[in-house]
Amino acid sequence: MVPVFLEAEGIGALGINLPALVAQLINFGILLILFSWVFKRFLFPMLDERKKRIEEGLQASEEAKERLAQTETEVAAEMSRARQEAQGVITQAQQASARIQEEGRESARADSEQMIERARQEIQLERDAAISELRKEFADLTITAAERVIRRSLDRKAHGEIIEEVLAEAPRGDGQGSSQN
Amino acid sequence: MNRRLAILGTLVVFVLGFLFLRGPTPHIAIKAEKLTDLGPIGITNTMITGWFVVALMVVLVFVATRKWELVPSGIQNFFEAALEAFYNLVTGIAGEENGRRFFPVVATIFFFIVFANWLSLLPGFNVVGWVGHETPEEEQIAAHGFVEGIVFEDLAIGPIDLHYIKPSSPGNLRVTNDSTVIKDDDPKGKDKFHEAEEEGKFVGELIPLFRGVNTDLNTPLAIAIVAFIAVEFWGISTLGFFTYGKKFINFSGPIDFFVGILELVSEIVRLVSFTFRLFGNMFAGEVVILMFTFLTPLIITLPFYGLEIFVGIIQAFIFAMLTLVFGVMAVSHHGDEHDEGHAPHGVPEADAVPEGAH
Repeated sequence: MVPVFLEAEGIGALGINLPALVAQLINFGILLILFSWVFKRFLFPMLDERKKRIEEGLQASEEAKERLAQTETEVAAEMSRARQEAQGVITQAQQASARIQEEGRESARADSEQMIERARQEIQLERDAAISELRKEFADLTITAAERVIRRSLDRKAHGEIIEEVLAEAPRGDGQGSSQN
Repeated sequence: MNRRLAILGTLVVFVLGFLFLRGPTPHIAIKAEKLTDLGPIGITNTMITGWFVVALMVVLVFVATRKWELVPSGIQNFFEAALEAFYNLVTGIAGEENGRRFFPVVATIFFFIVFANWLSLLPGFNVVGWVGHETPEEEQIAAHGFVEGIVFEDLAIGPIDLHYIKPSSPGNLRVTNDSTVIKDDDPKGKDKFHEAEEEGKFVGELIPLFRGVNTDLNTPLAIAIVAFIAVEFWGISTLGFFTYGKKFINFSGPIDFFVGILELVSEIVRLVSFTFRLFGNMFAGEVVILMFTFLTPLIITLPFYGLEIFVGIIQAFIFAMLTLVFGVMAVSHHGDEHDEGHAPHGVPEADAVPEGAH
Protein backbone atom coordinates (compact mmCIF):
# COMPACT_ATOMS: atom_id res chain seq x y z
CA MET A 1 0.00 0.00 0.00
CA VAL A 2 1.29 3.38 -0.93
CA PRO A 3 1.50 5.75 2.01
CA VAL A 4 -1.07 8.50 1.77
CA PHE A 5 1.30 11.40 1.76
CA LEU A 6 3.11 10.04 -1.28
CA GLU A 7 0.05 9.21 -3.27
CA ALA A 8 -0.89 12.40 -4.96
CA GLU A 9 0.09 15.96 -5.49
CA GLY A 10 -2.00 19.10 -5.90
CA ILE A 11 -5.69 18.95 -5.22
CA GLY A 12 -5.54 15.18 -4.99
CA ALA A 13 -3.42 15.54 -1.87
CA LEU A 14 -6.44 17.12 -0.20
CA GLY A 15 -8.40 14.02 -1.04
CA ILE A 16 -10.58 15.41 -3.77
CA ASN A 17 -11.22 12.71 -6.33
CA LEU A 18 -14.01 12.18 -8.77
CA PRO A 19 -15.40 8.83 -7.58
CA ALA A 20 -15.72 10.03 -3.99
CA LEU A 21 -17.21 13.31 -5.14
CA VAL A 22 -19.74 11.55 -7.34
CA ALA A 23 -20.55 9.16 -4.52
CA GLN A 24 -21.25 12.02 -2.14
CA LEU A 25 -23.23 13.85 -4.81
CA ILE A 26 -25.36 10.76 -5.25
CA ASN A 27 -25.77 10.43 -1.48
CA PHE A 28 -26.84 14.00 -1.15
CA GLY A 29 -28.99 13.76 -4.25
CA ILE A 30 -30.87 10.80 -2.81
CA LEU A 31 -31.54 12.72 0.38
CA LEU A 32 -32.56 15.82 -1.55
CA ILE A 33 -35.05 13.89 -3.66
CA LEU A 34 -36.39 12.06 -0.62
CA PHE A 35 -36.72 15.24 1.40
CA SER A 36 -38.33 17.12 -1.48
CA TRP A 37 -40.86 14.34 -1.84
CA VAL A 38 -41.52 14.17 1.90
CA PHE A 39 -41.98 17.93 2.13
CA LYS A 40 -44.32 18.02 -0.85
CA ARG A 41 -46.22 14.95 0.21
CA PHE A 42 -46.44 15.49 3.95
CA LEU A 43 -45.09 18.74 5.32
CA PHE A 44 -46.47 21.36 2.95
CA PRO A 45 -50.03 19.94 2.74
CA MET A 46 -50.04 19.62 6.49
CA LEU A 47 -48.79 23.16 7.00
CA ASP A 48 -51.38 24.43 4.52
CA GLU A 49 -54.12 22.42 6.15
CA ARG A 50 -53.12 23.59 9.58
CA LYS A 51 -52.90 27.17 8.42
CA LYS A 52 -56.31 26.88 6.82
CA ARG A 53 -57.75 25.43 9.97
CA ILE A 54 -56.20 28.08 12.12
CA GLU A 55 -57.54 30.76 9.80
CA GLU A 56 -60.95 29.14 9.85
CA GLY A 57 -60.79 28.90 13.59
CA LEU A 58 -59.79 32.52 13.89
CA GLN A 59 -62.52 33.55 11.49
CA ALA A 60 -65.04 31.46 13.38
CA SER A 61 -63.98 32.97 16.65
CA GLU A 62 -64.16 36.41 15.08
CA GLU A 63 -67.65 35.67 13.84
CA ALA A 64 -68.60 34.26 17.20
CA LYS A 65 -67.26 37.39 18.82
CA GLU A 66 -69.25 39.56 16.45
CA ARG A 67 -72.33 37.48 17.01
CA LEU A 68 -71.80 37.70 20.72
CA ALA A 69 -71.44 41.46 20.54
CA GLN A 70 -74.56 41.66 18.41
CA THR A 71 -76.46 39.43 20.78
CA GLU A 72 -75.27 41.50 23.71
CA THR A 73 -76.49 44.65 22.01
CA GLU A 74 -79.81 42.99 21.29
CA VAL A 75 -80.08 41.75 24.83
CA ALA A 76 -79.24 45.18 26.15
CA ALA A 77 -81.86 46.75 23.89
CA GLU A 78 -84.38 44.10 24.91
CA MET A 79 -83.56 44.66 28.54
CA SER A 80 -83.93 48.39 28.28
CA ARG A 81 -87.22 47.96 26.46
CA ALA A 82 -88.37 45.52 29.10
CA ARG A 83 -87.25 47.88 31.79
CA GLN A 84 -89.19 50.72 30.18
CA GLU A 85 -92.24 48.54 29.84
CA ALA A 86 -91.93 47.46 33.41
CA GLN A 87 -91.53 51.04 34.43
CA GLY A 88 -94.69 51.87 32.48
CA VAL A 89 -96.56 49.01 34.08
CA ILE A 90 -95.39 50.07 37.50
CA THR A 91 -96.41 53.67 36.83
CA GLN A 92 -99.77 52.54 35.58
CA ALA A 93 -100.20 50.32 38.58
CA GLN A 94 -99.23 53.13 40.89
CA GLN A 95 -101.64 55.46 39.18
CA ALA A 96 -104.36 52.87 39.29
CA SER A 97 -103.72 52.18 42.93
CA ALA A 98 -103.69 55.88 43.68
CA ARG A 99 -106.90 56.26 41.79
CA ILE A 100 -108.46 53.32 43.55
CA GLN A 101 -107.30 54.65 46.89
CA GLU A 102 -108.69 58.03 46.01
CA GLU A 103 -111.96 56.54 44.90
CA GLY A 104 -112.09 54.40 48.01
CA ARG A 105 -111.38 57.35 50.13
CA GLU A 106 -114.00 59.42 48.27
CA SER A 107 -116.64 56.79 48.54
CA ALA A 108 -115.78 56.19 52.18
CA ARG A 109 -116.04 59.85 52.83
CA ALA A 110 -119.33 60.07 50.94
CA ASP A 111 -120.66 57.06 52.83
CA SER A 112 -119.62 58.39 56.13
CA GLU A 113 -121.08 61.79 55.33
CA GLN A 114 -124.26 60.13 54.25
CA MET A 115 -124.34 58.14 57.42
CA ILE A 116 -123.62 61.17 59.49
CA GLU A 117 -126.35 63.05 57.68
CA ARG A 118 -128.75 60.25 58.19
CA ALA A 119 -127.78 59.99 61.83
CA ARG A 120 -128.23 63.71 62.19
CA GLN A 121 -131.63 63.55 60.59
CA GLU A 122 -132.59 60.69 62.87
CA ILE A 123 -131.31 62.58 65.83
CA GLN A 124 -133.29 65.57 64.67
CA LEU A 125 -136.37 63.48 64.27
CA GLU A 126 -135.83 61.86 67.60
CA ARG A 127 -135.29 65.19 69.18
CA ASP A 128 -138.34 66.72 67.55
CA ALA A 129 -140.38 63.77 68.66
CA ALA A 130 -138.94 64.04 72.12
CA ILE A 131 -139.56 67.75 72.21
CA SER A 132 -143.09 67.39 71.05
CA GLU A 133 -143.60 64.62 73.55
CA LEU A 134 -142.11 66.72 76.24
CA ARG A 135 -144.21 69.66 75.24
CA LYS A 136 -147.27 67.61 75.40
CA GLU A 137 -146.25 66.25 78.77
CA PHE A 138 -145.40 69.69 79.94
CA ALA A 139 -148.76 71.06 78.81
CA ASP A 140 -150.54 68.35 80.66
CA LEU A 141 -148.46 68.92 83.69
CA THR A 142 -149.00 72.62 83.49
CA ILE A 143 -152.70 72.16 83.20
CA THR A 144 -152.72 69.69 86.00
CA ALA A 145 -150.70 72.08 88.07
CA ALA A 146 -152.94 74.99 87.20
CA GLU A 147 -155.98 72.92 87.99
CA ARG A 148 -154.58 72.19 91.30
CA VAL A 149 -153.79 75.82 91.86
CA ILE A 150 -157.11 77.09 90.97
CA ARG A 151 -158.96 74.04 92.16
CA ARG A 152 -161.21 73.93 89.45
CA SER A 153 -161.66 72.25 86.29
CA LEU A 154 -160.60 73.97 83.37
CA ASP A 155 -161.67 73.56 79.86
CA ARG A 156 -158.94 71.25 79.00
CA LYS A 157 -159.24 71.85 75.34
CA ALA A 158 -159.35 75.65 75.50
CA HIS A 159 -156.50 75.85 77.93
CA GLY A 160 -154.49 73.39 75.98
CA GLU A 161 -154.69 75.71 73.02
CA ILE A 162 -153.56 78.67 75.10
CA ILE A 163 -150.61 76.74 76.45
CA GLU A 164 -149.72 75.60 73.00
CA GLU A 165 -149.77 79.16 71.95
CA VAL A 166 -147.53 80.21 74.79
CA LEU A 167 -145.14 77.41 74.19
CA ALA A 168 -144.95 78.24 70.55
CA GLU A 169 -143.95 81.72 71.52
CA ALA A 170 -141.47 80.44 74.06
CA PRO A 171 -137.91 79.89 72.98
CA ARG A 172 -137.29 76.43 71.38
CA GLY A 173 -135.15 73.74 72.90
CA ASP A 174 -132.82 73.58 69.86
CA GLY A 175 -131.50 76.99 70.60
CA GLN A 176 -133.05 78.62 67.59
CA GLY A 177 -136.16 79.53 69.52
CA SER A 178 -138.41 82.30 68.54
CA SER A 179 -136.44 84.97 70.18
CA GLN A 180 -137.00 86.94 67.03
CA ASN A 181 -140.66 87.34 68.08
CA MET B 1 -18.26 15.75 51.56
CA ASN B 2 -20.08 14.65 48.44
CA ARG B 3 -18.44 17.35 46.43
CA ARG B 4 -15.00 16.31 47.65
CA LEU B 5 -15.76 12.73 46.72
CA ALA B 6 -16.88 13.80 43.28
CA ILE B 7 -13.72 15.83 42.71
CA LEU B 8 -11.57 12.99 43.98
CA GLY B 9 -13.38 10.48 41.79
CA THR B 10 -12.96 12.70 38.75
CA LEU B 11 -9.27 13.03 39.46
CA VAL B 12 -8.88 9.27 39.90
CA VAL B 13 -10.72 8.58 36.63
CA PHE B 14 -8.59 11.20 34.93
CA VAL B 15 -5.31 9.73 36.19
CA LEU B 16 -6.37 6.15 35.45
CA GLY B 17 -7.33 7.11 31.93
CA PHE B 18 -4.05 8.92 31.54
CA LEU B 19 -2.09 5.90 32.73
CA PHE B 20 -3.91 3.03 31.08
CA LEU B 21 -6.01 4.26 28.20
CA ARG B 22 -3.58 6.24 26.14
CA GLY B 23 -3.44 5.09 22.57
CA PRO B 24 -0.88 5.74 19.93
CA THR B 25 -0.31 9.12 18.42
CA PRO B 26 -3.36 9.58 16.23
CA HIS B 27 -2.75 9.34 12.58
CA ILE B 28 -4.25 12.40 11.05
CA ALA B 29 -4.90 12.34 7.35
CA ILE B 30 -6.66 15.01 5.35
CA LYS B 31 -7.56 12.44 2.74
CA ALA B 32 -10.22 9.93 3.54
CA GLU B 33 -8.67 6.52 4.07
CA LYS B 34 -9.34 3.93 1.42
CA LEU B 35 -10.83 0.76 2.80
CA THR B 36 -11.10 -1.36 -0.28
CA ASP B 37 -11.25 -1.20 -4.03
CA LEU B 38 -14.42 -1.74 -5.98
CA GLY B 39 -13.15 -2.01 -9.50
CA PRO B 40 -11.50 1.27 -10.35
CA ILE B 41 -13.21 3.06 -7.46
CA GLY B 42 -11.58 3.18 -4.09
CA ILE B 43 -14.16 2.87 -1.37
CA THR B 44 -13.21 5.26 1.43
CA ASN B 45 -14.41 5.29 4.99
CA THR B 46 -16.23 8.58 4.44
CA MET B 47 -18.19 6.97 1.61
CA ILE B 48 -19.22 4.19 3.95
CA THR B 49 -20.19 6.74 6.58
CA GLY B 50 -22.05 8.75 3.96
CA TRP B 51 -24.13 5.74 3.00
CA PHE B 52 -24.69 4.98 6.65
CA VAL B 53 -25.89 8.55 7.29
CA VAL B 54 -28.20 8.50 4.27
CA ALA B 55 -29.59 5.09 5.20
CA LEU B 56 -30.21 6.22 8.77
CA MET B 57 -31.96 9.39 7.63
CA VAL B 58 -34.10 7.48 5.16
CA VAL B 59 -35.16 5.12 7.94
CA LEU B 60 -35.89 8.03 10.27
CA VAL B 61 -37.96 9.79 7.63
CA PHE B 62 -39.81 6.58 6.94
CA VAL B 63 -40.56 6.06 10.62
CA ALA B 64 -41.63 9.67 11.05
CA THR B 65 -43.93 9.74 8.03
CA ARG B 66 -45.40 6.27 8.42
CA LYS B 67 -48.28 7.54 10.47
CA TRP B 68 -48.43 11.16 9.46
CA GLU B 69 -51.34 12.98 10.99
CA LEU B 70 -52.53 16.52 11.28
CA VAL B 71 -52.30 16.31 15.05
CA PRO B 72 -48.79 14.99 15.56
CA SER B 73 -47.71 12.40 18.08
CA GLY B 74 -44.56 10.52 18.94
CA ILE B 75 -41.58 10.97 16.66
CA GLN B 76 -43.64 13.03 14.23
CA ASN B 77 -43.82 15.68 16.94
CA PHE B 78 -40.10 16.04 17.03
CA PHE B 79 -39.70 16.04 13.26
CA GLU B 80 -42.46 18.52 12.80
CA ALA B 81 -41.20 20.87 15.46
CA ALA B 82 -37.74 20.90 13.88
CA LEU B 83 -39.03 21.17 10.32
CA GLU B 84 -41.64 23.77 11.10
CA ALA B 85 -39.21 25.96 13.02
CA PHE B 86 -36.80 25.76 10.11
CA TYR B 87 -39.59 26.34 7.61
CA ASN B 88 -40.71 29.45 9.44
CA LEU B 89 -37.14 30.71 9.47
CA VAL B 90 -36.76 30.11 5.73
CA THR B 91 -40.07 31.70 4.80
CA GLY B 92 -39.29 34.56 7.17
CA ILE B 93 -36.17 35.34 5.16
CA ALA B 94 -37.25 34.44 1.65
CA GLY B 95 -40.99 35.08 1.80
CA GLU B 96 -43.73 32.50 1.50
CA GLU B 97 -43.46 31.81 -2.22
CA ASN B 98 -39.68 31.62 -2.56
CA GLY B 99 -39.29 30.06 0.85
CA ARG B 100 -41.33 27.10 -0.27
CA ARG B 101 -39.23 26.75 -3.40
CA PHE B 102 -35.94 26.98 -1.54
CA PHE B 103 -36.94 24.97 1.49
CA PRO B 104 -36.25 21.42 0.25
CA VAL B 105 -32.67 22.21 -0.72
CA VAL B 106 -31.93 24.39 2.29
CA ALA B 107 -33.50 21.93 4.73
CA THR B 108 -31.75 18.94 3.19
CA ILE B 109 -28.42 20.73 3.49
CA PHE B 110 -29.08 21.66 7.09
CA PHE B 111 -30.36 18.32 8.28
CA PHE B 112 -27.81 16.27 6.37
CA ILE B 113 -24.88 18.28 7.70
CA VAL B 114 -26.10 18.45 11.26
CA PHE B 115 -26.96 14.77 11.29
CA ALA B 116 -23.62 13.75 9.78
CA ASN B 117 -21.68 16.02 12.11
CA TRP B 118 -23.37 14.78 15.24
CA LEU B 119 -23.17 11.18 14.15
CA SER B 120 -19.42 11.49 13.75
CA LEU B 121 -19.16 12.21 17.48
CA LEU B 122 -20.37 8.73 18.33
CA PRO B 123 -17.83 6.34 19.78
CA GLY B 124 -16.27 4.15 17.14
CA PHE B 125 -15.75 6.92 14.65
CA ASN B 126 -12.10 7.38 13.77
CA VAL B 127 -10.87 4.69 16.15
CA VAL B 128 -12.43 1.42 15.07
CA GLY B 129 -11.10 0.05 11.83
CA TRP B 130 -8.39 -2.08 10.43
CA VAL B 131 -4.69 -1.69 10.18
CA GLY B 132 -3.01 -1.40 6.85
CA HIS B 133 0.60 -2.51 6.52
CA GLU B 134 2.77 -0.03 4.92
CA THR B 135 5.50 -1.87 3.08
CA PRO B 136 7.75 0.72 1.64
CA GLU B 137 9.16 0.33 -1.79
CA GLU B 138 12.89 0.61 -2.18
CA GLU B 139 12.64 3.80 -4.21
CA GLN B 140 10.40 5.41 -1.60
CA ILE B 141 12.95 4.64 1.04
CA ALA B 142 15.60 6.10 -1.18
CA ALA B 143 13.57 9.22 -1.78
CA HIS B 144 12.15 9.83 1.66
CA GLY B 145 14.39 8.00 4.06
CA PHE B 146 11.56 5.98 5.51
CA VAL B 147 7.91 5.58 6.03
CA GLU B 148 6.32 7.52 8.80
CA GLY B 149 3.67 5.70 10.62
CA ILE B 150 2.60 4.08 13.80
CA VAL B 151 4.23 0.91 14.93
CA PHE B 152 1.82 -1.92 15.54
CA GLU B 153 2.33 -5.27 17.14
CA ASP B 154 0.84 -8.33 15.54
CA LEU B 155 0.00 -10.77 18.32
CA ALA B 156 -1.12 -14.27 17.53
CA ILE B 157 -3.96 -15.36 19.81
CA GLY B 158 -4.05 -18.99 20.80
CA PRO B 159 -3.75 -22.01 18.53
CA ILE B 160 -6.10 -20.78 15.82
CA ASP B 161 -4.98 -18.28 13.23
CA LEU B 162 -6.34 -15.15 14.85
CA HIS B 163 -4.42 -11.97 15.27
CA TYR B 164 -4.83 -8.99 17.47
CA ILE B 165 -3.20 -5.88 16.17
CA LYS B 166 -2.09 -3.85 19.11
CA PRO B 167 -1.13 -0.26 18.61
CA SER B 168 2.14 0.39 20.35
CA SER B 169 1.98 2.81 23.16
CA PRO B 170 4.73 5.40 23.26
CA GLY B 171 5.86 4.21 26.68
CA ASN B 172 6.60 0.56 26.07
CA LEU B 173 7.85 0.27 22.57
CA ARG B 174 11.52 0.76 22.29
CA VAL B 175 13.19 -1.34 19.71
CA THR B 176 16.36 0.61 19.74
CA ASN B 177 17.43 3.42 21.99
CA ASP B 178 15.19 5.78 20.05
CA SER B 179 11.50 5.66 19.72
CA THR B 180 10.26 3.15 17.22
CA VAL B 181 8.24 5.81 15.50
CA ILE B 182 10.71 6.03 12.71
CA LYS B 183 11.24 9.41 11.21
CA ASP B 184 11.64 10.28 7.56
CA ASP B 185 15.14 11.56 7.99
CA ASP B 186 16.45 8.76 10.17
CA PRO B 187 19.51 7.33 8.37
CA LYS B 188 19.15 4.04 10.19
CA GLY B 189 15.48 3.89 9.47
CA LYS B 190 15.67 0.90 7.22
CA ASP B 191 17.56 -1.21 9.73
CA LYS B 192 15.17 -0.22 12.50
CA PHE B 193 12.24 -1.19 10.37
CA HIS B 194 13.61 -4.64 9.67
CA GLU B 195 14.53 -5.13 13.31
CA ALA B 196 11.05 -4.31 14.36
CA GLU B 197 9.56 -6.46 11.66
CA GLU B 198 11.49 -9.45 12.93
CA GLU B 199 9.98 -8.88 16.35
CA GLY B 200 6.51 -9.11 14.86
CA LYS B 201 6.03 -5.38 14.71
CA PHE B 202 5.32 -3.38 11.64
CA VAL B 203 4.73 0.11 10.57
CA GLY B 204 1.17 0.61 9.63
CA GLU B 205 -1.75 2.93 9.52
CA LEU B 206 -5.04 2.65 11.31
CA ILE B 207 -7.80 2.91 8.75
CA PRO B 208 -10.98 3.80 10.61
CA LEU B 209 -14.14 2.21 9.33
CA PHE B 210 -16.16 5.32 10.03
CA ARG B 211 -15.08 8.89 9.68
CA GLY B 212 -17.16 12.03 9.76
CA VAL B 213 -18.33 12.65 6.19
CA ASN B 214 -17.62 16.35 6.33
CA THR B 215 -13.97 15.73 7.21
CA ASP B 216 -13.55 14.52 3.65
CA LEU B 217 -13.38 17.45 1.24
CA ASN B 218 -15.51 15.60 -1.27
CA THR B 219 -18.66 15.85 0.84
CA PRO B 220 -18.62 19.60 1.49
CA LEU B 221 -17.71 20.05 -2.15
CA ALA B 222 -20.63 17.88 -3.26
CA ILE B 223 -23.04 19.85 -1.06
CA ALA B 224 -21.55 23.12 -2.26
CA ILE B 225 -22.02 22.04 -5.87
CA VAL B 226 -25.65 21.17 -5.20
CA ALA B 227 -26.15 24.52 -3.46
CA PHE B 228 -24.45 26.31 -6.34
CA ILE B 229 -26.58 24.57 -8.96
CA ALA B 230 -29.72 25.22 -6.93
CA VAL B 231 -28.95 28.93 -6.58
CA GLU B 232 -28.24 29.31 -10.30
CA PHE B 233 -31.38 27.35 -11.13
CA TRP B 234 -33.51 29.57 -8.91
CA GLY B 235 -31.99 32.68 -10.45
CA ILE B 236 -32.48 31.52 -14.03
CA SER B 237 -35.97 30.13 -13.50
CA THR B 238 -37.12 33.33 -11.81
CA LEU B 239 -35.49 36.00 -13.96
CA GLY B 240 -34.95 34.15 -17.22
CA PHE B 241 -31.63 33.07 -18.64
CA PHE B 242 -30.64 36.38 -20.22
CA THR B 243 -31.73 38.64 -17.40
CA TYR B 244 -29.90 36.49 -14.92
CA GLY B 245 -26.88 36.18 -17.21
CA LYS B 246 -26.67 39.95 -17.45
CA LYS B 247 -25.67 39.93 -13.83
CA PHE B 248 -22.37 38.34 -14.87
CA ILE B 249 -21.80 39.39 -18.44
CA ASN B 250 -22.86 42.96 -19.00
CA PHE B 251 -21.63 45.01 -21.93
CA SER B 252 -23.61 48.16 -21.14
CA GLY B 253 -20.53 49.90 -19.76
CA PRO B 254 -17.01 49.26 -18.56
CA ILE B 255 -17.98 49.50 -14.89
CA ASP B 256 -20.94 47.18 -15.35
CA PHE B 257 -18.70 44.77 -17.20
CA PHE B 258 -16.16 44.82 -14.41
CA VAL B 259 -18.88 44.40 -11.77
CA GLY B 260 -20.22 41.46 -13.76
CA ILE B 261 -16.82 39.81 -13.78
CA LEU B 262 -16.56 40.36 -10.01
CA GLU B 263 -19.97 38.78 -9.56
CA LEU B 264 -18.89 35.81 -11.62
CA VAL B 265 -15.72 35.38 -9.60
CA SER B 266 -17.59 35.72 -6.32
CA GLU B 267 -20.03 33.07 -7.52
CA ILE B 268 -17.17 30.62 -8.06
CA VAL B 269 -15.41 31.64 -4.87
CA ARG B 270 -18.56 30.85 -2.96
CA LEU B 271 -18.13 27.25 -3.96
CA VAL B 272 -14.63 27.20 -2.50
CA SER B 273 -15.59 29.09 0.65
CA PHE B 274 -18.59 26.83 1.23
CA THR B 275 -16.42 23.75 0.86
CA PHE B 276 -13.48 24.80 2.94
CA ARG B 277 -15.49 26.45 5.70
CA LEU B 278 -17.36 23.26 6.46
CA PHE B 279 -14.42 20.99 5.85
CA GLY B 280 -12.04 23.10 7.91
CA ASN B 281 -14.37 23.31 10.89
CA MET B 282 -15.25 19.65 10.95
CA PHE B 283 -11.74 18.42 10.27
CA ALA B 284 -10.32 20.68 12.96
CA GLY B 285 -12.95 19.41 15.38
CA GLU B 286 -12.03 15.85 14.61
CA VAL B 287 -8.35 16.57 15.10
CA VAL B 288 -9.00 18.34 18.39
CA ILE B 289 -11.02 15.43 19.71
CA LEU B 290 -8.48 12.86 18.55
CA MET B 291 -5.60 14.80 20.03
CA PHE B 292 -7.30 15.35 23.34
CA THR B 293 -8.32 11.72 23.51
CA PHE B 294 -4.68 10.89 22.93
CA LEU B 295 -3.39 13.35 25.50
CA THR B 296 -5.96 12.86 28.24
CA PRO B 297 -8.30 10.03 27.37
CA LEU B 298 -10.96 10.84 29.97
CA ILE B 299 -12.75 13.90 31.40
CA ILE B 300 -10.86 16.68 29.62
CA THR B 301 -12.17 15.48 26.27
CA LEU B 302 -15.78 16.08 27.28
CA PRO B 303 -15.87 19.88 26.87
CA PHE B 304 -14.56 19.41 23.36
CA TYR B 305 -17.40 17.05 22.59
CA GLY B 306 -19.79 19.74 23.78
CA LEU B 307 -18.02 22.25 21.59
CA GLU B 308 -18.24 19.93 18.62
CA ILE B 309 -21.97 19.45 19.11
CA PHE B 310 -22.31 23.21 18.95
CA VAL B 311 -19.97 23.59 15.98
CA GLY B 312 -21.79 20.77 14.19
CA ILE B 313 -25.15 22.57 14.23
CA ILE B 314 -23.67 26.01 13.69
CA GLN B 315 -21.82 24.93 10.56
CA ALA B 316 -24.94 23.23 9.22
CA PHE B 317 -26.92 26.38 9.93
CA ILE B 318 -24.35 28.63 8.26
CA PHE B 319 -24.21 26.44 5.16
CA ALA B 320 -27.99 26.31 4.86
CA MET B 321 -28.56 29.99 5.61
CA LEU B 322 -25.90 31.14 3.16
CA THR B 323 -27.47 28.98 0.48
CA LEU B 324 -30.81 30.57 1.28
CA VAL B 325 -29.42 34.11 1.24
CA PHE B 326 -27.63 33.49 -2.05
CA GLY B 327 -30.87 32.08 -3.41
CA VAL B 328 -32.77 35.19 -2.32
CA MET B 329 -30.12 37.37 -3.93
CA ALA B 330 -30.23 35.34 -7.12
CA VAL B 331 -33.98 35.86 -7.55
CA SER B 332 -33.82 39.58 -6.86
CA HIS B 333 -33.69 42.02 -9.78
CA HIS B 334 -30.10 42.94 -10.35
CA GLY B 335 -30.88 44.63 -13.65
CA ASP B 336 -32.50 47.61 -11.99
CA GLU B 337 -30.05 48.08 -9.22
CA HIS B 338 -30.46 51.80 -9.57
CA ASP B 339 -33.86 51.79 -7.90
CA GLU B 340 -32.91 51.33 -4.34
CA GLY B 341 -34.83 49.47 -1.73
CA HIS B 342 -36.69 47.14 -4.07
CA ALA B 343 -37.54 43.69 -2.85
CA PRO B 344 -36.69 40.43 -4.60
CA HIS B 345 -39.44 38.43 -6.27
CA GLY B 346 -42.01 37.33 -3.77
CA VAL B 347 -40.05 38.64 -0.83
CA PRO B 348 -41.79 41.03 1.50
CA GLU B 349 -40.09 44.42 1.54
CA ALA B 350 -39.11 44.17 5.18
CA ASP B 351 -37.61 40.73 4.74
CA ALA B 352 -35.50 41.53 1.70
CA VAL B 353 -31.89 40.63 2.24
CA PRO B 354 -29.63 43.60 1.82
CA GLU B 355 -27.07 43.57 -0.93
CA GLY B 356 -23.76 42.12 0.07
CA ALA B 357 -25.20 40.20 3.02
CA HIS B 358 -22.52 37.59 2.47
